[in-house]
Amino acid sequence: MAVVKLDRIVKRYGGGGPTVVENVDLTVNDGEFMVLLGPSGCGKSTTLRMIAGLETISGGTLSIDGRVVNDVPAKDRDIAMVFQSYALYPHMSVAENLAFGLRRRSLPGAEIDRRVAQVADILGLAPLLARRPSALSGGQRQRVALGRAMVREPQVFLFDEPLSNLDAALRVNTRSEIIKQHHRLGSTMIYVTHDQVEAMTMGTRICVMNAGRVAQIGAPLDVYWQPANTFVARFLGSPPMNLMAASLAAESRRAASPALDAPLSRWTDAVLGSYDGRTVTLGVRAEDMMIDAAAMEGQPYGTVRGRTIAVEPLGAETLLLVELESGGEITARLPRHVVAAPEQKVELFFRADAAYLFDANSGNAIASHESGAAAIRAAVQRRTH
Amino acid sequence: MATIAAREGPAPLPRLFGRGMLALVLGVYTVYTLGPFLWLATMSVRTTAEISADHYAWPKPFHWEQFRSAWVDSDFATYFWNSTLVVVGAVAVVTLIGAGAAHALARYRFRGNRLIYGILFSSIIFPPQITLISLYQILVDYNLYNSLLGLSLVYISLQLPLTVYLLEGFFARIPQDLFDAAKIDGYGDLEIFWRIVLPVGMPAIATTLILNFIQLWNEFLFAVVLITDPDKRTLPIGIRAFMGDHFQDIGMIATGVMISVIPVIIAYVFFSEKLIRGMTAGAIK
Repeated sequence: MAVVKLDRIVKRYGGGGPTVVENVDLTVNDGEFMVLLGPSGCGKSTTLRMIAGLETISGGTLSIDGRVVNDVPAKDRDIAMVFQSYALYPHMSVAENLAFGLRRRSLPGAEIDRRVAQVADILGLAPLLARRPSALSGGQRQRVALGRAMVREPQVFLFDEPLSNLDAALRVNTRSEIIKQHHRLGSTMIYVTHDQVEAMTMGTRICVMNAGRVAQIGAPLDVYWQPANTFVARFLGSPPMNLMAASLAAESRRAASPALDAPLSRWTDAVLGSYDGRTVTLGVRAEDMMIDAAAMEGQPYGTVRGRTIAVEPLGAETLLLVELESGGEITARLPRHVVAAPEQKVELFFRADAAYLFDANSGNAIASHESGAAAIRAAVQRRTH
Repeated sequence: MATIAAREGPAPLPRLFGRGMLALVLGVYTVYTLGPFLWLATMSVRTTAEISADHYAWPKPFHWEQFRSAWVDSDFATYFWNSTLVVVGAVAVVTLIGAGAAHALARYRFRGNRLIYGILFSSIIFPPQITLISLYQILVDYNLYNSLLGLSLVYISLQLPLTVYLLEGFFARIPQDLFDAAKIDGYGDLEIFWRIVLPVGMPAIATTLILNFIQLWNEFLFAVVLITDPDKRTLPIGIRAFMGDHFQDIGMIATGVMISVIPVIIAYVFFSEKLIRGMTAGAIK
């Protein structure tokens, strides 16, 4: 069992310096693959380094497997870490790199050799054991870094943006390798990335962080379909979710602006009543925008009007950048056969159940009566239509 | 393929001309620097009378016995041993303490870090000769005047600032991730210094090692002021003993210089590769 529990963890630099991590509550369950996701400077790497014991903890409690480890040195936490820069010892061979941590633990030579050979076999490093890191490619170095973590057989694996230095093809391969090893080992893994694709494809759960705080924790698709606030809504998804200001009318169950008119079918009368007459933020994902009203198939739908400012044909799809009549820009991800030109008036449509509502002041999502699995099912149905 | 090759470099004729010019410049420079050394080498196997008769003549015959005479009769064995003791000891201490101090300044954030670094750096700016009188007085006060240990300590103090300065610059470029990885692998600060910093920093350490060795091996001023006993002379003072007020034994001086130069050449041959790597560290990624 290796449960990593962060209880109101704080990181503050110097006396009265900036607070880079603020009251982070997070429980990573045994065998879970938790992804810390967020933009640069959001505190995700600092959080990981605090778990590793490489940064002191300014406040809160960190426990691994029930033991409080706030003041336990990194070497005694039974964790292993894979770094973005690989951090291989340049003066040692691959075999020595793999064995370096084991030698410190005074394991018998035969056991060290067995573990090194086993990991080298699993990761295909056997032919490279005598080489120095400088004689390896980026992908090979990353496999050695992964092997160095695996050979230790730790309770918890930590990954700090391990794929960032790899090219696109290698990134996909190494991603698969890490997922495969997670399934094989069943260990607790905490993985830091700013790449939403890595987060969505690798994580059992993801923890989205913003400005040192946890913005949302959940299964990848839960977070995608049910973003807790506008930050998460825009951070997950490419292009980011379109956000538009609109005035809410509870009686007619509509949100409207000069460029927008949307029926609100997913919220109860009580919820809408509490926002009656107020400005809210309406969100629609780019992939839920349609250019053909016939695609709505009789379902209630909203409309948005504007002027095309750019057309980006990507081959598999076409991105349409639209400037709204009321100001602001939105993006529509349309089928590849759509032909459009800039500087044209355009009307886009979206199904009512594809709309999200957020409080205009706090940015928090206004909860609908659909939630969790139901929302995902509904959303998947929308996408398959 | 031919088109690509032609695009990669200049046409053969200008390239040949360029190489020829380069060889010419290198040749002139080699003669300029190596010439005096070869002249000295020829003088080391000639007697002073022969040298006086013709400064530049080829040795005829080769007086190899001058080396034996210098080594045995003129106590060069003692001078050589004294130099070895003082310089090797000082260089070893400077390297070890310098590397440790450079690592601490480069890696650890503590109050006064930059102040210490600034003081060390400022001591490089001033010429070491200005410390001569005070060092003399300190050595006298501590009964270290006219002792090899005292001279060693002075040499350590002379070379330490530059060593720390050079190594700090190199060590600061060692990625922090390496230290973090070693910490997670279970190693403490001292072990990390020993197992990671020293091996990774070896090119820079070799550079300071050879620079310090050459500098101290040839050091004359402090040695001549702080050593008076003939049996405690280092090589540079020993060579000076051949210079009288009215007569200079040029042949034996040349022989002594050749003896003193041999260890430097050996050190350079062994460490030159690392020296070049250390000096060009960071020049290319």
